[in-house]
Amino acid sequence: MMNESFISIQGVKRCFHTAAGDFWALKGIDAEIPRGKLTILKGRSGSGKTTLLNIIGALDKPTNGNVIFDGRNIVHMTEHRRAKIRRKDIGFVFQSVALIPMMNAQENVEYALRMARSREKRSDRALECLKMVGLAARAHHMPQELSGGEQQRVAIARAIAHRPKIIFADEPTGELDTMTGLQVVKIFKDLIAQEGVTIVMTTHDTGLMEIGDAVYELEDGELIHGSK
Amino acid sequence: MLKFVLRKMFSKKWMVLALLIGNILLIGITAGNPMYTQAILQKTLTKNLEASLTNKNQYPGTITLRLPTSKKTLSAVREYEKLAQRIPEDFQVPALHELTYYAANAQKIDMELIRNDVADLRINICAMTDFADHISIVAGRGYSATPDEAGIIDAVVSEKMIADTNILLDDVISFPFFTDAEGNPLRLRIAGVFTNSIENDLYWVRSPYVYQNHCFIDETLFSDFFLSQEELPYAINVNYYVQLDYTAMRGDQAEHILQTATAYKERYTSRDYTDYISPILTEYLKTAKKVNVTLWVLQVPVFILLAAFIFMVSRQMLEMEFNEIAVIKSRGAGRGQIFTVYLIQSLVISLLALIAGIPLGGYLCQVLGSSNAFLEFVRRSALPVELNQEALIYSGIASVFSICAMVFPAARYAKTSIVGHKQRKNAKSQTPMWQKLFLDVILLAISIYGLYTFNGQKELLAMRVQEGGSLDPLLFLSSSLFMLGAGLLAVRILPLLVWLIYRLFRRFWSPALYASFLRVLRTRSSQGFIIVFLIMTIALGVFNAQAARTINQNAEDNLHYLTGADVVLQESWDNSSNYSDPLDPSTASAETVYFEPDFGRYESLEGIDSLAKVYINDTVSVGSGKGTIKNIHFMAIHTKDFGETAWFKDGLTDVHWYHYLNAMAQNSQATLVSRNFQTKHGYKLGDSFIYRTAKGDSQRGIIYGFVDYFPGFSPVSYKKGTDGLYSETDNYLIVANLQQIQASWGVLPYQIWIKHQDNADYLYEFADKNNIYYSTFKDTSVQLTEAKNDPVLQGTNGILTVGFIVVLLLCSVGFLIYWILSIKSRSLQFGIFRAMGMSMREIFTMLINEQLFISGLSIAVGAVVGQLTARLYMPLIQLAYAASDNALPLELISHPDDNIRLFAVIGLVMLICLMILGGLISHMKIAQALKLGED
Repeated sequence: MMNESFISIQGVKRCFHTAAGDFWALKGIDAEIPRGKLTILKGRSGSGKTTLLNIIGALDKPTNGNVIFDGRNIVHMTEHRRAKIRRKDIGFVFQSVALIPMMNAQENVEYALRMARSREKRSDRALECLKMVGLAARAHHMPQELSGGEQQRVAIARAIAHRPKIIFADEPTGELDTMTGLQVVKIFKDLIAQEGVTIVMTTHDTGLMEIGDAVYELEDGELIHGSK
Repeated sequence: MLKFVLRKMFSKKWMVLALLIGNILLIGITAGNPMYTQAILQKTLTKNLEASLTNKNQYPGTITLRLPTSKKTLSAVREYEKLAQRIPEDFQVPALHELTYYAANAQKIDMELIRNDVADLRINICAMTDFADHISIVAGRGYSATPDEAGIIDAVVSEKMIADTNILLDDVISFPFFTDAEGNPLRLRIAGVFTNSIENDLYWVRSPYVYQNHCFIDETLFSDFFLSQEELPYAINVNYYVQLDYTAMRGDQAEHILQTATAYKERYTSRDYTDYISPILTEYLKTAKKVNVTLWVLQVPVFILLAAFIFMVSRQMLEMEFNEIAVIKSRGAGRGQIFTVYLIQSLVISLLALIAGIPLGGYLCQVLGSSNAFLEFVRRSALPVELNQEALIYSGIASVFSICAMVFPAARYAKTSIVGHKQRKNAKSQTPMWQKLFLDVILLAISIYGLYTFNGQKELLAMRVQEGGSLDPLLFLSSSLFMLGAGLLAVRILPLLVWLIYRLFRRFWSPALYASFLRVLRTRSSQGFIIVFLIMTIALGVFNAQAARTINQNAEDNLHYLTGADVVLQESWDNSSNYSDPLDPSTASAETVYFEPDFGRYESLEGIDSLAKVYINDTVSVGSGKGTIKNIHFMAIHTKDFGETAWFKDGLTDVHWYHYLNAMAQNSQATLVSRNFQTKHGYKLGDSFIYRTAKGDSQRGIIYGFVDYFPGFSPVSYKKGTDGLYSETDNYLIVANLQQIQASWGVLPYQIWIKHQDNADYLYEFADKNNIYYSTFKDTSVQLTEAKNDPVLQGTNGILTVGFIVVLLLCSVGFLIYWILSIKSRSLQFGIFRAMGMSMREIFTMLINEQLFISGLSIAVGAVVGQLTARLYMPLIQLAYAASDNALPLELISHPDDNIRLFAVIGLVMLICLMILGGLISHMKIAQALKLGED
């Protein structure tokens, strides 16, 4: 089992303290993320999928429960070590396009390599990744000169550049039209095939559900349906 | 609408607070300036008027109107009386006294008892209004208001008259010239001797002592005799004295009073109309103008900064509210409505600023009034600050300007659509307009041209100041332009420098530093403003500090130098001529012998550090090949004592001035002479010459050194020539050995120069206890206090200090806002960095690096620009403050404390900033930060 699941989520709860009282965004989640597969977290907005993604992506800590990330429990790690894991092993693609505005496409991708202290020749790898997402020609454009879809693809290129073991994508297709959305999913599929990474993405787009190797559905902080 | 605006303001309370601070400061300064000017001028006026009373013993409010000698009718006397009564009304100052003095002119008298000793007296018969109320009788009795049975009229005379003449009490004098209807001569009896009943009674426009041949009689009796018919039988003098209450005079009345006085002078001729007030007020108006110009001119850069600040903050606020504007617009709000929202907002802010700013202005006045030097305050009597119309008008104007600065950006925003805004925001940072226009280079060129021109007219400038002119506003403006130009140039050049650093070491940069460099380099346009702002504030701070220090220190040094030592005094020397009997030639010696006061008692005084005898003679002349050099400032000193006592500054002579003194000590005939002996008369070292005093004493001197400066010696002086223009004259100096001079010329009255251990108190006690009168007594510290009370200098110190404090405040607020906003607006970015695995420490490194290259560099450049500006412009600005006897060359003074204070405050602000930022960032949950980006 350990070999097959890259992340093991064990009884994860997350409570937000708000002015209106405590709000349980996650009410006890148990799930496995299989290695080298595309896992889809599904749910309506507010169902807790982004919260869950942040927790398993070492961005946020659960109130209760454990997350075993590639054999290590990341819940009790120091912030420093979690940062290191994010740097080396994880690539993020955010729902909102989150490129660094003062860097051009290529520099954005290279920056992930810088962060990971990668020994590869950065510009070559960056171009390679941009080629993978079909944007080699726009390497020197600034983010604000790219369309939403193009920006999202640059973000993916950046997420994979440092060869992470896992990529988390939060609604990567959320702001894209169907065609571009499918293109993005295709890139993910190719990545799994070519580089063997594990990908977790959230979506509310039912059309994309079929593509996932594993699909979890969340509702009000609880897992209501899980497959595989 | 108002409710909506208020709610909106509350939601942006920090920005609103910053705007409010800017506005309050603006109003405070604008309102404070005229209030301060008025207060300090009022104080100066009162002081000048009082000085007239204490120094000249003239009641400054006295106005004298004389009956013209040509008018010899009773109606003229009455007419002038009425005219005199109108004086207080015309001058708009209440009168304390109005009195009339009548005198029938001196006439030969007959004594009833024939006494030869008084036969030649000519006596005036006079009367004064309310005379009896202001005298006390010291001998005899007062006069009665009626003649006695024999028709003799009682008269009283002054003590002076009794002392000076041989008139006795109860003498009866008859005036054959003045006869009554029957032809009988007027007869007066000396009934008593009077003196003024109260000391310093204003009533005595002329002291009772002046009336040395005057008999005072009852006013009615005088009228009955001399003023009984229309054609006056005898020539009489009538003086109408009106004493205006000078304490009720206000500075803003000066012009009116002066105009009225001039009109009076024209109407009555300057013989029949005299006052004491005109010269005082003329001088006062000159000072007033100077103070006014100086204070406004000094404030200009602060105003510019304030305006820039308000503009910057409101633009920033709009930037933040753009989405809201877009929402309101999309719901159908017109451009006008949006504009109105911002107009109301700025009106509310301005109103609040007015309410808080005007009292702040009053408070600033008190701060200004108590500033003694830069950032130095003393207890002085509080200034009579009051809110005046001018203050209100100026504050109003300032508010309007500030409203414009706040609304103007809104007008632009109301026009652009959301699409246009996004496009603009997304466009690559473009080169700003001013860079394309080379505004920085233009400004620098203008200011340097100004500097060059002014430097060429330096002497003219100095002359103008001597004539009472003020600092040329253009000169100061040019220094402000220089700062602005240099700041803008720095904005152009700094990125190149950063780029160079970035490129040179690019392989060493950590990801955090790499990102921060890219930010510094690629988001220039948004930083341009804060960079210019920082450079300007720091430069202004440094410049203000240097200017104030330089002006004060130079004034102080100059005073010390010209006096020569802490205290220079000379007792009144008794001499033999006081004891020779003019009738007995044998006692008159050919030469006056002086009796030297006991010098030893000073030597033993507790509190003295050292003292020296200095003989000074300003009438010495030397016959040279190129004509006689006259009026040489001659000093005879004891070199060792003098060296220990006199005040001198390093750097005024090529080598330490002790070397000159030592050289002089080698030979009894050795002298030091001023440089112009060499340059204008061709003397060389070792030359000998004969110098002689006006009295004919002479002595041979050998030149052992040429000096440019020497304690107490002023190399050039400005003197007003007959043509009313000031011109420079060269002064000459000879310093000789005192022993030699005393041996050949005898002991002549010398000055004692004293250096204190700490202050002069002991000396005053000593003089008091021993009843010593000094013919010369110069106390540097007293003169210094006086100099510092000069309204121009005091105002300058005050304004520079307040300007500096305002600048610090603005700088802190501006800095905080900029950074907090820059962090808040970048929370998404920080989220990305954190998600990509950047640790908190790295984020801080990034921020500190940004700070270093944006704020740090700006601060450094600001300091350099400030220094440079001071170096270039201070020699000229200083001219405005130099006294007419300015002797020393200008030395730029920078007080390390000031810079430490400035940078300590800035450092503290940066630290607070970093702490706030740190708090903001560490509280920023990455997850939440990323969510922020969702909209």
